Amino acid sequence: MREDFILLAMCATGITHRGSAGIKKKLYEVLQRFPHANSGDVKTGSEFNAELEAIRKGFVDTSVLHYVFTDKETVVQVLEEIRKADLGISIVLSGLFDEVEECCKRTDLKPHTVEHSAGVMGRTERLPDERILGITTMCGHGLVAANLVLEMVKRIRRGKLSIEEAAAKLAGPCICGVFNPKRAERLLSELVSVGMPRFRVRGTLQGRDYY
Amino acid sequence: MKIDPEICTGCGQCVPYCPMGAIVLYKKDRKRGEKAFAEIVRDECVECSVCFRADVCQSGAIIKETLEMPRLVRAFFSDPWFSHPGTDIPGRGTEEMKTNEVTGRFREGFVGIGLEFGRPGTGCRLREVEPAVRKFASLDVKLEPENPLTQIVADHESGRIREDVRNEKVLSAIVEAVVPVAKCQEVFQAVKELAGEVETVFSVGVITKVAGDGSYPSVDEMKKAGISPSINGKVNLGLGRPLFE
Repeated sequence: MREDFILLAMCATGITHRGSAGIKKKLYEVLQRFPHANSGDVKTGSEFNAELEAIRKGFVDTSVLHYVFTDKETVVQVLEEIRKADLGISIVLSGLFDEVEECCKRTDLKPHTVEHSAGVMGRTERLPDERILGITTMCGHGLVAANLVLEMVKRIRRGKLSIEEAAAKLAGPCICGVFNPKRAERLLSELVSVGMPRFRVRGTLQGRDYY
Repeated sequence: MKIDPEICTGCGQCVPYCPMGAIVLYKKDRKRGEKAFAEIVRDECVECSVCFRADVCQSGAIIKETLEMPRLVRAFFSDPWFSHPGTDIPGRGTEEMKTNEVTGRFREGFVGIGLEFGRPGTGCRLREVEPAVRKFASLDVKLEPENPLTQIVADHESGRIREDVRNEKVLSAIVEAVVPVAKCQEVFQAVKELAGEVETVFSVGVITKVAGDGSYPSVDEMKKAGISPSINGKVNLGLGRPLFE
């Protein structure tokens, strides 16, 4: 998680979003200069399922821009760039709190509001292995299927795909660009090297093992 | 979404893409002369469009139907390319803390609590959030009005979701409320009790405005309630303008 920073940019709907498409497009173009693992706009797609030109031209007032960075120094430079640009749009940085706080300190930014996870509750026995969840939950919209992770592990083990190719395929369903394929590569390596528990598909397919 | 069985070759490429595991592959039955084909189990499909957007079907058998209510509500909650009609926001349909410096949704002395039903990965029927709505109502906790789930609650006291959509399945839906810090312990206790009353899973998010000294007031409240706050999370950097006054 130390190499996983997600930056989100959006405007408050009904308050500041009208006419904001141009600002988001400008920010997107500026941040393209920095090394990143993924980027996208929820209204168009990500680098793993849309053309960069389509993303660049597709910004609308309700767009939500995402970037995934994998090192703190880049994040510091990005925040410095954003602070100087003074665009007036909301920026949310996700990551380990101590890392994000350090980035803020170094760029003279003050955290305004924070959100913690307090865990998952309820029928947690319905959930797949947490190593699979580590990959699927990178997509905040829940679009990366646990079965797809299993399928990718199968293909890697059979030599049909490299780990990098499999991680890229897993990034495909995440349309907003928050999925970190570099982190997926690390987690896939773990899954490939250890024995995998059978995962039961739920719903009307209850009891039917996919593997 | 549906798959045309006449066009489908039964290759199975689409099967693993469904987050709900709702695509079933029927293998070739030589004895009966039936060809292999895949089928989307309609009631389990949440209309997220992942199978369609994956673009792995070589024969073009996956069909994106034009949806109408009540089934259209599945797409509102599950497909980020749809914006919720009540909030005009895509994805989960609520901005939560992401624009808080502008909206002022979470202020000093208050904590935001979000229960995302169906996450991670189980999905949920909209009626499955009713115990949470009911519990919050019993504690006199008001749900966030700029939230698409709040907007389909027919009766807050009973927790009843609107009749036409309560059986529709979605990827996830967030029960969202803002509570005074003084009420946190009561609400956290209620959330823990809820865990034993639901048929799906829910992820719990806790939001707080950062205090003047840089501390996070919600963290102490979570620890007091025996809840471990995550070491990672989201930080709104306060750059949006104009600032909420």
